Amino acid sequence: MASSYKKNLSRFQSVIALLVLCIVLSLLTDKFFTAANGVNVLRQVAVNVCIATGMTLVVLTAGIDLSVGSVLALCGAITAGLLKNGIQFPSADLYIGFTILGAVLGSVIVGGLLGLMNGLAITKFKVPPFVATLAMLTIARGFTMLYTGGHPISNLGTNFAYIGAGSFIGIPVPVWIAAIVVLLAVFITQKTKLGRYIYAIGGNETAAILSGIRINRVKLIVYSLGAALAAIGGVIVTSRLDSAQPNAGISYELDAIAAVVIGGTSLNGGKGSVWGTVIGAVIIGVLNNGLVLLNVSPFWQQVVKGGVILLAVVIDKMGDKKE
Amino acid sequence: MRKSLLLFPSLLLLLMAFTFVQCKSKTAANKKHTIAVVVSTLNNPWFVFLAETAAAKARTLGYEAKIFDSQNNTALESDHFENIIVSGFDAILFNSTDANGSVANVLKAKAAGVPVFCMDREVNSLDGPTAQILSDSYSGAVAIGKYFTQQLHKKGTYVELLGLVGDNNTWARSNGFHSVVDNYPGLKMVAQQSAEFDRNKAMEVMESILQAHPDVNAVFCGNDGMASGAYQALVSVGKADKIKVFGFDGAEDVITSIGENKIAATGMQFPKVMAETAAQFADEYIKGKRDFPKKIPVAVELVTSKNITDYIAYGKKQ
Repeated sequence: MASSYKKNLSRFQSVIALLVLCIVLSLLTDKFFTAANGVNVLRQVAVNVCIATGMTLVVLTAGIDLSVGSVLALCGAITAGLLKNGIQFPSADLYIGFTILGAVLGSVIVGGLLGLMNGLAITKFKVPPFVATLAMLTIARGFTMLYTGGHPISNLGTNFAYIGAGSFIGIPVPVWIAAIVVLLAVFITQKTKLGRYIYAIGGNETAAILSGIRINRVKLIVYSLGAALAAIGGVIVTSRLDSAQPNAGISYELDAIAAVVIGGTSLNGGKGSVWGTVIGAVIIGVLNNGLVLLNVSPFWQQVVKGGVILLAVVIDKMGDKKE
Repeated sequence: MRKSLLLFPSLLLLLMAFTFVQCKSKTAANKKHTIAVVVSTLNNPWFVFLAETAAAKARTLGYEAKIFDSQNNTALESDHFENIIVSGFDAILFNSTDANGSVANVLKAKAAGVPVFCMDREVNSLDGPTAQILSDSYSGAVAIGKYFTQQLHKKGTYVELLGLVGDNNTWARSNGFHSVVDNYPGLKMVAQQSAEFDRNKAMEVMESILQAHPDVNAVFCGNDGMASGAYQALVSVGKADKIKVFGFDGAEDVITSIGENKIAATGMQFPKVMAETAAQFADEYIKGKRDFPKKIPVAVELVTSKNITDYIAYGKKQ
């Protein structure tokens, strides 16, 4: 009982922080609290929500995934490449074309495999997650450069643009995608055995092993899911821009980790929730949006953003102590 | 323990394999002169084009060429220079990370007898580089500023999207633009934000700005990537035909967009000209010429829907 009360409290803390932020911004500018701007903010946070949801699962097992930004870029480039050029084998005079669905699935599978490689390095070779995924950050960025030759892949067609720029019943498609991702992740963490195992590993890995949880398998699944969600983020970014940029996603891992932390998930694992992360991502999105609406100098924006992250975590810790 | 015993010889084997390959290429290189291309970043298609063109030109002139990526990091650039000097390259075609920070690197190469030819970005040293072939960002932005005021009939509100706020080019372009536009009190800048030369960031920033200022008349962007992103934001709110977008670079996507009347104008830089001139100079230096002009400015040309047929991505039609 006590622990669920505590979990609720920390969730409310970030909700309160979000509300305060919104009220302050509404007082400062009348452009903030409008339906159009709300849709705008949601559309902009959708990609970070996808990535940060995967990151939450990873962090709950007391891991971390620094490679998501690069995986996003590589998978975005692969989606665009498959769609535009397909796969060509000039030696065999063979050409394989891809539909939109095929290209998207292809890139999500590649993303999942990259995550699986992270997982294998971490479980089979005992590489610390920080190091394994740092290596993947560089490797995936390198492959992105190799695949694109350093040039963007543009003009992907209006049908593909629907994924990133279209809307369905007045709500942008990326928001729908993020919502589905979040609901699935909430279901997994709260209603399935896998979810309980994830919390158990992060809470106490030795105890989890002793109670017969196959922790390696759980970690493989978690890292694969995290990277596959980054791939979905890559598809959205590529579609919105109508262009796969080789330098897409740089430092996105930091935004995702910030969302996770602001949302009250402990970097030591075992404690936190997907909902918290969603709130965290929205706080970052509102902050980005608000600072631009107020035309705050770009120099100051970085200071303010860092300060808010620090403040959120300090408040969270203070709440812990009172318990 | 056993594993580590195995690891050591296998690493050694790998190392030996590499040295073998290295030796092989070295003996082949002995017959050929080598030219190093050091570029500030390969994370931006414009610089990729600059580096690849320079290397390609060097190869057609009969040299072996190798590209070094400084990743916008002057310290890494310094490492590259040391490696280049030690491995005995004959010339360096150089796109610097920082006008002042790179001076020491250039002087180091000069002291070792390796000539340096700067492309696009200036190094603040008169006697360091053998020659500098530079893009004139400031006066290019002045030309855009003039066309901008003319297109807006000297009246209206606009947004400026800056590049990386720590980058020289960001401010050269911004200052050039404002040196013209600020003379007209009818033109009011309602927002000035950084989008870090990034297409995605520009789109997001522009979307937010449009919430605050839905009826701006124009947006000036510090590079073409940001212009494409800003345009994308205008399309998504159905304002693409009401708000004029101005870029800088002459990148492929924007050249296409100007042809389709989507983007108003850009400043065409000539990476091809700069890269090929630098390679040409290096060739002449190796063949014995020592007298080069210290600085050659390469003008940035205004590209609009009126003269778009004369241009292709990164240059003029031949």
